Amino acid sequence: MSKFPLYSNEFDANPFPFYKDLQENAPCFWSDDAQKWVLTRYDDIVNALNDWQTYSSAQGNLVDEFPGRAGNTLGSMDPPKHDELRAVIQSVFAKRNLTHLEEPIKATTKRIIDNNIGNKKHFDFAKDFSSEITFDVLATLLGLPDTNKEEACANALMMVQTDIKTRQKGPEHLAAFQWVKDYASNVIAERAKNLGDDAISQLITAEVNGVKLDLIQVELTVTTLIMAGIESLSGFLKMFAKNMANYPEQRAKILADMSLLPDAIEESFRFNTSAQRFRRCLTKDVTLHGQTMKAGDFVILAYGAGNRDPRKYENPDEYDVLRKAKGHLGLGGSVHLCLGNAIARLAVKAAMEVFLTEIPHFSQAEADDELEWLASSNFRSPKKLVFIRE
Amino acid sequence: MVQVVYIAHDGEQTELNVQEGWTLMQAAVSNGVDGIEAECGGACCCATCHIYVDDQFLEKIPAALAQEEGMLNEVVAERTQNSRLACQIKVSNALDGIIVRTPEAQS
Repeated sequence: MSKFPLYSNEFDANPFPFYKDLQENAPCFWSDDAQKWVLTRYDDIVNALNDWQTYSSAQGNLVDEFPGRAGNTLGSMDPPKHDELRAVIQSVFAKRNLTHLEEPIKATTKRIIDNNIGNKKHFDFAKDFSSEITFDVLATLLGLPDTNKEEACANALMMVQTDIKTRQKGPEHLAAFQWVKDYASNVIAERAKNLGDDAISQLITAEVNGVKLDLIQVELTVTTLIMAGIESLSGFLKMFAKNMANYPEQRAKILADMSLLPDAIEESFRFNTSAQRFRRCLTKDVTLHGQTMKAGDFVILAYGAGNRDPRKYENPDEYDVLRKAKGHLGLGGSVHLCLGNAIARLAVKAAMEVFLTEIPHFSQAEADDELEWLASSNFRSPKKLVFIRE
Repeated sequence: MVQVVYIAHDGEQTELNVQEGWTLMQAAVSNGVDGIEAECGGACCCATCHIYVDDQFLEKIPAALAQEEGMLNEVVAERTQNSRLACQIKVSNALDGIIVRTPEAQS
């Protein structure tokens, strides 16, 4: 039995016992399945994130990377290049510039519930709710056209997956990547004719050290924003709603006091973030816990494991919305802290406040090991998440 | 390890032993110190890790570079001569015992 069966539905259904075993018995673990090292302890992951000179992102940050992507997106660049590019678009994603979106997101949420869920006893939270909300938020933020919505969502979801047999991106994943990239290229070309104050316009006009970005960098950065926007936000919404379904006594606390929602969101980022794993590449040999990792080796930083490290959090396997989870890795960390962290927090709070008001009591229709999970080596979320209204 | 004292706007004090080479922001965030948001993760482009460095340590810290100077104009709380961004200050032995205060608001 593999200690880290990254490419299996069993692992997706419940990776936490595997993480725990590695944390205790092999904290610096060479995975034959992934052909990469795996770090699972909180302190080791934070050290790696802070030491970006040693744990470089420039060879790609996706556990299974796309050809030609590394070095052309924010997440796959190291400082100082990374910081210069991030500075260009950070303001679009800054909390202080987003508060005006809260009420429109709430209104959209109400409309989506009325249109897609209504009085249905059973509904698919993924299809009926989270993917629609997510596209809407992203479209507002990036100024995306309302056309091709379903295709964009389907391709964004496909591109983050991996063929579980070949353990690489298969033709369908590469085709989805290409589709999203072409979609991004079209949006960029249109936007260039009519610039605004959105993130894409900022990327088109940005100059770093007096030089405009290469078109490929703009294209791949926008492709990543679309992928992250659709998949990550939707994935996290699903995991948060899943926690609400699975822990009714915790949900009751929020129903009694909605001001606890932000704390519950932080606890969900800790407890079962959808962004479970990212990768780095070593720029020099590193010896850790008696193992020597060589320069050029890839290392998986298992954020989802670090978030359950008992050295960091008391009773880590307990979902406790009153915990006030601080310092979690649910949005990554250090210079690669999720660019969309503020919009993610705001959108999830706004959407779930409305959702829980409209549908306060619900449970999950299928057990976790019966769910079909996204076949992704980075992300963890169910493809379909049916709830039963109670 | 270097001792760092963070004092929140309401007076709450947190003492941390920080690894040399880490920034004051990194130590605060991973240890859950309230009052530092660090939305950009330390890329010096969000102005939400604003701190006031205690007078006696100000001169021991290298002066702000142009990017930090620019971002200090964006802080939402009052900017004073003690204002710095925590993500730009690396902890070293020379700063042992440093006291920093966090402002009333970051965003």
